[in-house]
Amino acid sequence: MKGIGKRVTVAFLSIVALLTASGVISLFELSNLSYDADEILSASSRDMEVSKNLLRSAHDHSRAIIDMSIFGKEDKSACRNALSELDSQISSMREDAPVALQECLDSLSMYSARLRSLTENYSATETVVIDSLTVEVHKVDGRKWYVEVYEPSYNNFTEQVKRYTTLSHGQVAPRAAQLSKNAYRSVAPVLISLAVMIAIVLMFYFFIYIYGVKPILRINKALTDHLSFKLPYKAKAEMIDEIKELNDNIENLINISKSNKKQESDAI
Amino acid sequence: MRFSVILRYVGTVMLCLSAIMAVSAGISYASGDTGFYPLLLSALLTLLLGGFPMIFVSKADSITTKEGFMIVVGSWVVSCVVGMFPYLIWGGEFSLVNAWFESVSGFTTTGASILTNIEALPQGLLFWRSATNWIGGVGVVMFALLVLPSLGTNKMALSGIEMSSLAKDNYRYRTQKVAKILLTIYIGLTIISTLALKLAGMRWFDALNHAMSASATGGFSTKNASIGFYDSPLIEWILIAVMFLSSLHYGLIYSTFTRKSNNIFRSEVVRVYVAIIVGATLFIATSLYFADIYPNIFTSLRQSVFQTVSLITTTGFATADTNLWTPFAVVILIILSIICGCAGSTSGGAKVDRILLYFKVLVARLRGQQHPNAVIRIRLDGILQEDRQVNTVTLFLTTYFVLILLGTLTSTLLGLDLLTAFSSSVAFIGNVGPGFGAVGSLDNYAELPSLLKIQGSVLMLMGRLEIFGFIQFLFIRMWR
Repeated sequence: MKGIGKRVTVAFLSIVALLTASGVISLFELSNLSYDADEILSASSRDMEVSKNLLRSAHDHSRAIIDMSIFGKEDKSACRNALSELDSQISSMREDAPVALQECLDSLSMYSARLRSLTENYSATETVVIDSLTVEVHKVDGRKWYVEVYEPSYNNFTEQVKRYTTLSHGQVAPRAAQLSKNAYRSVAPVLISLAVMIAIVLMFYFFIYIYGVKPILRINKALTDHLSFKLPYKAKAEMIDEIKELNDNIENLINISKSNKKQESDAI
Repeated sequence: MRFSVILRYVGTVMLCLSAIMAVSAGISYASGDTGFYPLLLSALLTLLLGGFPMIFVSKADSITTKEGFMIVVGSWVVSCVVGMFPYLIWGGEFSLVNAWFESVSGFTTTGASILTNIEALPQGLLFWRSATNWIGGVGVVMFALLVLPSLGTNKMALSGIEMSSLAKDNYRYRTQKVAKILLTIYIGLTIISTLALKLAGMRWFDALNHAMSASATGGFSTKNASIGFYDSPLIEWILIAVMFLSSLHYGLIYSTFTRKSNNIFRSEVVRVYVAIIVGATLFIATSLYFADIYPNIFTSLRQSVFQTVSLITTTGFATADTNLWTPFAVVILIILSIICGCAGSTSGGAKVDRILLYFKVLVARLRGQQHPNAVIRIRLDGILQEDRQVNTVTLFLTTYFVLILLGTLTSTLLGLDLLTAFSSSVAFIGNVGPGFGAVGSLDNYAELPSLLKIQGSVLMLMGRLEIFGFIQFLFIRMWR
């Protein structure tokens, strides 16, 4: 490569390219990191929401059972709706849940099935329809049934929901550790690019100084010494391209001037 | 001293490294693993760093010895620095100190690793590890000289500095020819061993990596259990042959193939070297057999010969846990780790040439006491050794042992047991790789404190640069 202008331009463009690359890498890594953090936070809030909905559905079912067993309300649709809500929530949780939580979801399904079977059995023992006549076959004590049969299963189910909440929150710790690992990975390329950039900027300064600034200072000093004290012109520095040409031209000019003076003095 | 010229030549070495990083990135891309981005980014950064000085600095017509010295040592240090970029960017087990240690260990062909699970590394990074071994085996500057013929007359100055004076003795050629010899033998050995290992049952990728590592006497494997993973006598014998050939003077190998008089069979050093290997193998095998460590003498011999050749050539491949061997065998293996291969080969350590010369000086001294007026000349492989050369060798060996003792001292200070501290110091400065105790043949250096890892990397660089080169680099201000 020839020409100080070209050299400086290429060097400058290299630095700009590295700066741009560092910026792109930083953006890429930060967006990855931000995506990971969002992922963890949204997973955590999703788990909270799901647990809340499960507890609400279980509570709705319990209310419907109380209405049916204690207050004798005939409408069983509230019961069925609450149960189907529970089942659909559990099956949707299964889709996103990690392997570690699958066992807990199995238990939840089991307790939900238990609530369903208790409800169906209660309904079955309450009335029997024979030839369009409703016959009271066996009247159970609704209050006693609720306290002794239903409530323990309900408590088991809610306990299991709490366990699921605890476990799902426990999953945040390793994911956060992974995030911190990813953060290290994100920072490493940026830091390395930065270190390389510092090295290149230092080299740029060094080259500009020894091939640009220093020769000009030396040429100026040599020229000043020559003009002021008639010292021979000698600029000691590493010179390239136009600066070398400039130095050579000055030397030529001085030589021409010297030979002109000599010719003049010879003529006189 | 012209720093701009130094920067240009160090940059040339970095351009070569950048090209190999790009090849590693290509391997990662082909295998679709996670190493592609770290390797590609490292290749680009190294390319920019190495190419930048070329914008301003034109090729120098000649370089001085001081400049040559700075170029060689600077290239080694900078290579180790850029060599850790892919590891650092990839992450995993690589912290800053771990990445530096792995990089230095690779380039100096030590083969000591901080990885507890090598097989978890992507293929591109595994290839890069082996490539650092391979480049370091021939010498980072020599490597650049070999692949960049445009360096012309400056080859002489640079190769003369990187090669030890003992190594130069057996090269009775001009530098251009020496470079060609090195290139032919090195690449030839790597290709032949790759094919042989493939035929013996390794996958292409593993065969290439192990061949690169063995011909460089490096010792990086792609498996956690090293060569023990294959449990194949054929693979072991192929590697024994490659490691042995790589630890001989390349000039002698060339002379043997070209039927010159100064060949392997006539070399005094090679004869002593072979005698040491045979003797050590037999002693260790007998010790293992009588200690009931292996069921029969053949298995004892097989394990013994592999570990003997692996350690004396400073490769460091393992087929057995040598920590379970008898104390007698362990002591022999530590002695072998100090002696090491021949000068002019890819192996590190004190070198058998120096040990032989040392004993010759000892015998000459004893004779001199008996016959005070006698003029005793010391020859090594028929070459008369000047007093200056003899003094350099004795000074080298003394400094070598002092450094081992200093390494042991600081290691014990930081809590290592004596066996681990001593054997790791020997393994570092000799560029051997595995030691004994906590850093045995099937263990790693992951648990070492960071300070010891840094100390280890300095010892590795010192060993690779034949001690004085590195020490002089540290006192560079005196050079002005």
